[in-house]
Amino acid sequence: MLRIRGLVAGYEDGGRVLESIDLQVAAGESVALMGRNGMGKTTLLRAVMGLLRPVAGGVTFDGSDLTGRPPFEISNAGIAYVPQGREIFKDFTVEENLRLGLLGKTGMAARVPDAIYGRFPILAERRAQRAGTLSGGEQQQLAIARAVISRPRLLLLDEPSEGVQPSIVEAIAATVSAISREEGTSVLLVEQNLDLVLALTTRCLFIENGRVVAQSASARLADDSELLARYLAV
Amino acid sequence: MAQALLVALDASNFMLALLLVTLGLVILFGLMNVINMAHGEMFLLGAYAVVLVQRYGGSFWLALALAPLALGVIGLVIEEVVIRHVYHRFIDTILATWGLSISLKQAVIIAFGPTAQQVHNPLPQTVEILGTLYPVYRLFIMAVAVLAAAGTFLLFYQTSLGLVARAVIANRPMAGSLGLNTRRMDRMTFAFGAALAGLAGAVMAPLMSVDPQMGVGFLIPAFLSILVGGTGTLLGTLLGTTLIAGAGTVVSSIWSQITAQIVVFALAIVVIRLFPQGLTGGSQER
Repeated sequence: MLRIRGLVAGYEDGGRVLESIDLQVAAGESVALMGRNGMGKTTLLRAVMGLLRPVAGGVTFDGSDLTGRPPFEISNAGIAYVPQGREIFKDFTVEENLRLGLLGKTGMAARVPDAIYGRFPILAERRAQRAGTLSGGEQQQLAIARAVISRPRLLLLDEPSEGVQPSIVEAIAATVSAISREEGTSVLLVEQNLDLVLALTTRCLFIENGRVVAQSASARLADDSELLARYLAV
Repeated sequence: MAQALLVALDASNFMLALLLVTLGLVILFGLMNVINMAHGEMFLLGAYAVVLVQRYGGSFWLALALAPLALGVIGLVIEEVVIRHVYHRFIDTILATWGLSISLKQAVIIAFGPTAQQVHNPLPQTVEILGTLYPVYRLFIMAVAVLAAAGTFLLFYQTSLGLVARAVIANRPMAGSLGLNTRRMDRMTFAFGAALAGLAGAVMAPLMSVDPQMGVGFLIPAFLSILVGGTGTLLGTLLGTTLIAGAGTVVSSIWSQITAQIVVFALAIVVIRLFPQGLTGGSQER
């Protein structure tokens, strides 16, 4: 479904981060992307989302070419993004944040469906509260809810466990895997937290110096300490 | 007492007229990060739209309705042809819109000549307010400004469109990633800002000498208001215009126009020194 071929990208000042990325995510599949800091994981998600213009290579989604398209078109093609640091709208209410996940989508009701509050009960309680007053874990759930509210076919998650306490990470893992299972949403997860990778994904790719250098079944990661040491240890 | 009332009415009148001009400017700056040096010329075109409509026998009220529409369309064209290409290049937007301001002004001179045009006052009556005679048309301007400001406020804070606009202001990349059409917001915002400038020019035309230089007189206090008030919220615009117009009118009624200019600039310098982000600065989310 998602197909990235020979993707080269970097920052506007010319510094290259992605040297040549090739990867695929099949429909309904959940894939983890692991690697040390600064290896290009976040840059890759940003490039897929259209927030960075690739220097070379391309991204196709369901056969249509997304390379160089603006973010709002990529979003409307069915890809949702939960960025590192969450980037919720702090001055807006929880409900307004959720509505913003719907307002740009063609052919979608602008009302927040109750189903989303069913999946994230804490947000129902906080509905009228300013998003900036939520705890880190609640903000993360809001960012995920805002992304999945439009029922995307691919969800890009960038370090959802960052700054979130372990019990909430477990809850987030359970909710995201339920969404993925019930709605057939594919997931591309950038993460350092092994528990989350094991809970959510079936396949794991390792990225180093802007290239995908190895892959493994996620389930094997639990016993293969050598693989983890090679690509994750500092 | 009567004198004080007159000054208060004049100050409110100037403040509300200035608010009308500044609203468009601050929306363009806040939403699109474009400093529109051609805003004064959009104001000018609004006034000349009235001249043109009246020349062909149309009424002032028709002109008042047509001017913002015409400027909205002109705004769309300007955005598509010029502004679109210089987003993200902040300094270049100043240069581009400055060039645009010169071109528009020269176009007006070619079309209408350099001399002042007359627009007759559609409401020449005066009305007595607490023993003071005051022109009805000035009250009309105040009403238009209040309605435009209230309408803009409602549009931004009570509608879905406004929510989207504020999301683009707060975090453009994230707004785009949520599927919000940032390109269309840019177009609509620019057209809306231009339409407000056109409305301001048209409504002010009967009280001013309609000549190619009339835009500058409002552009400078409008920019000062933004610097003083801050760009984060519409409340800042209200504060800035109140302070600049209030100080200007009060001082010029006691001393002279020149003293008023000096006081207003000194005041602006002091406020900017103490609050570099403007009086409401810092409330803007980045």
